Amino acid sequence: MRAFGHRDPQNLRAGDKQVRTTQRMKGTFISPDGSSGSRLGARITGALLRYIAAIAIVAAALWLSLALQAPFGNPFWFLFALAVISSTWLLGKGPGWAAVALSSAMGLYFFVPPYRGWTINLRDLPFFATFVSCQVITSWLISWRGDWEAALRHARDELEVRVEERTAELKAANDALLYRISEQKRAEEALQAARAELARVARITTVGELTASIAHEVNQPLAAVVANADACVAWLALPAPNLEEARAAANRAVEGATRASGVIARIRSLIHKAEPQRGPVQLNQLIDETIAIVSGQASRSQVAVHLELAPDLPEVPGDRIQLQQVILNLAVNGIEAMAPVSSRPRRLSIRSSFDRDRREVHVLVQDNGVGVGGDAMTRVFEPFFTTRTQGIGMGLPISRSIIEAHGGRLWVQSEVDRGSVFQFTLPAAEGRTA
Amino acid sequence: MKEQDPTVFIVDDDREVRLGLESLIRSVGLRAAIFASADEFMAAPRPDAPACLILDVRMPGQSGLDLQRELRGAGIHIPIVFLTGHGDIPMTVRAMKEGAMEFLTKPVRGQDLLDAVQKAIARDRTARQKRAELSELRARFDSLTPRETEVLNLVVAGLLNKQIADELGTSELTIKTHRAHVMEKTRADSLAHLVRMTETLKRSTAR
Repeated sequence: MRAFGHRDPQNLRAGDKQVRTTQRMKGTFISPDGSSGSRLGARITGALLRYIAAIAIVAAALWLSLALQAPFGNPFWFLFALAVISSTWLLGKGPGWAAVALSSAMGLYFFVPPYRGWTINLRDLPFFATFVSCQVITSWLISWRGDWEAALRHARDELEVRVEERTAELKAANDALLYRISEQKRAEEALQAARAELARVARITTVGELTASIAHEVNQPLAAVVANADACVAWLALPAPNLEEARAAANRAVEGATRASGVIARIRSLIHKAEPQRGPVQLNQLIDETIAIVSGQASRSQVAVHLELAPDLPEVPGDRIQLQQVILNLAVNGIEAMAPVSSRPRRLSIRSSFDRDRREVHVLVQDNGVGVGGDAMTRVFEPFFTTRTQGIGMGLPISRSIIEAHGGRLWVQSEVDRGSVFQFTLPAAEGRTA
Repeated sequence: MKEQDPTVFIVDDDREVRLGLESLIRSVGLRAAIFASADEFMAAPRPDAPACLILDVRMPGQSGLDLQRELRGAGIHIPIVFLTGHGDIPMTVRAMKEGAMEFLTKPVRGQDLLDAVQKAIARDRTARQKRAELSELRARFDSLTPRETEVLNLVVAGLLNKQIADELGTSELTIKTHRAHVMEKTRADSLAHLVRMTETLKRSTAR
């Protein structure tokens, strides 16, 4: 019962009930212990009254016997039997025995010759003995039956109390259980709300980071365009225009402008797909697009990105944007994990494959960065856990919840100073075999 | 001593930006040298000529601000024109405090950049000249003997030859000889010139 240690209101009520039950039980079955004088008095008075009643019954039987004997001549012994039976039956064991003793004495005195004397003839002794024996047996049988009934009643009442006790206990347990269930439900709701809030925050953060990244991605080619266009104009403005230089500069300006428009097109395709939707997603294509987004960051961080995509990859049903967020998170994590590494070439590998037996698409993102140790590894999926100085530690928990919402699994293997491998699976779309 | 042509160093990790800037600089007849990273720039030889550095703030590896600090630490005085895609105020303040010439936001107008570059080269030329003059001056004063330096200090303090002789416990004639050597070695035209030169040296040492 340790689990119900905290006393909620319902538990308290159940306890009260139990106390009441116990008191009633005492009143019914356990004799008052005599601590109260009035109760003892009442008890003595009650017993006295019952004895007096027994004497009265025997007296009545005697009177009736004598009265009937006068006209009819025969002694009416059986009236004593009636007195004994009724005394034992109605008044209890003690008064019953009193009635037996008294009626035997009265019989001896009034109805056994010599009459009106305490002596007895030898001839009449068997008769009188039989009379007394019958009285004793009758009284004994009746009182034995009474005891038995009382015991039965006692047992029945006790059983009833036990049932009540157990019922109260069960009810208390049930109440506590209900209370805990509702607590848990509340906690779950709170957790869900927190998770939704975190997802929102992370999305905003990602949008912020993405905006900064886009601004840089667009600005860089624009800077190239302006510098080269200016140079082109300058070469043409010379007294003897240098057409070769001007042409080279103009070509570079065109290259820069093309680069800028490529960035814009990528962003537009991202925005077009911003509506949350569940459709067939071709993961290879998604990986390609995502890598295009982070390629700037990768080259700035001197990271070589290596793709190994299975050509037979079936589509997976899912939310394209959410899945892209997962790949983006894992790729950016990998790139950032390699930032402190200078002793070996930084390399980010992404592999996709298809498990025909399990009908699962499998994606692996591997870096040779700093890696994480045993304790940190078990915690990387906890919200707000981060090993970086920047970052809020939400990327991996959200990634995992996205993958799990798609019916897949996301896990990590890592070794300090060797790098990390993040892998996830997603169930393949039905009906199409690759 | 004929001065070499000024050189403009350009450090930017974006190839097209780098080439565009180089082309722009060459179009106005200046020499340009391009580098893809701070390390590359540090490893390259620098000619003894007026120069300026066009530096991208945001680069992989060492950032522009890191390079600025490293140059300063190494005693390399070269005016820096910063280019940035996302200049924020604290960064600008930091760069300016460390002696940046200009802080221009990408994409930068060609003329703005050329103006900044010309200004920076002019300043470097003046600074180089000043540094050369100063080291010349220091060399002259360093050629003085300890006794001559003592006499110089007392002369500059405004003492007469007789007073100096009393101070140093020698004859007025000896002081006159020392004094003549000082004027000769420092190539001072007059007492006033000598005092000015001494002050210039003191200020440069104090700084």
